Amino acid sequence: MVDNNSCSQTWLEEYGDYLFSYAFLRVKDKHLAEDLVQETLLAAITSEDTFANRSSIRTWLTGILKHKLIDSFRRQGREFVMGDLVDQDDNDKLDYFFKSNGRWVNKPDAFPNPESAFEQKEFWRIFQQCLSGLKPKQAEVFLAKEIHGLSSEDVCKDFELTPTNVWVLMHRARLALGHCLKMHWVD
Amino acid sequence: MLNCEKASQLASRAMDEKLSFRQNMALKLHLLLCRSCSNFTQQLNFLREVSRHSGKKIGFKLADEAKRRIAKVLKDQQTS
Repeated sequence: MVDNNSCSQTWLEEYGDYLFSYAFLRVKDKHLAEDLVQETLLAAITSEDTFANRSSIRTWLTGILKHKLIDSFRRQGREFVMGDLVDQDDNDKLDYFFKSNGRWVNKPDAFPNPESAFEQKEFWRIFQQCLSGLKPKQAEVFLAKEIHGLSSEDVCKDFELTPTNVWVLMHRARLALGHCLKMHWVD
Repeated sequence: MLNCEKASQLASRAMDEKLSFRQNMALKLHLLLCRSCSNFTQQLNFLREVSRHSGKKIGFKLADEAKRRIAKVLKDQQTS
């Protein structure tokens, strides 16, 4: 029988970076984020609920991490509810970005050359801020795909999403990030 | 003719998958005529570039030292 215990090292290798970045975006503290990854994996290996019952290890581990995040916020006396980590409404409209006739509400501007941003500390602070402002599901998919390099296929499998779900989430994440960077960095 | 909402959607999809011939032509035509959507397409490339660098720049990956520490804790748990 494959037990959770013998899998923990593989999980650390495979999902450690993702879990870390997910936690780091929310707690904004490297050491705390590392501790949360550790707590998550420890909870996973001692859980009676084996991953064999799950179709996606990533979703399962992320679920455990979300609970750890909430515990950690409580310990710090911060008001925090699961709703902040789970989308309340999947059908959020795009009317923040587009008028009913499909035209832009705010016309996008061209951004500077990316290389010019790489060396700016300020840029990375803002980029991180913009990422933490994404809706939970958008942030999860964007992180996995664009920052950790997962293929669309793996994103579908790991997050239990259809290809359409994925491109809708990516479109929204990109609109939101573009808008956020324009507001806080370009302008 | 595509509107900007649909065009931006196709432009985003084109970052991740191959569009059909029709979709691709419709998008190209729209981009030729629409400055805002061309700018959005440029933003998409910008986002892809910076995201690829953000692992190192923001430190979106577990440090080796942290990874070793966690691996050890997990191993100890296993043998205890």
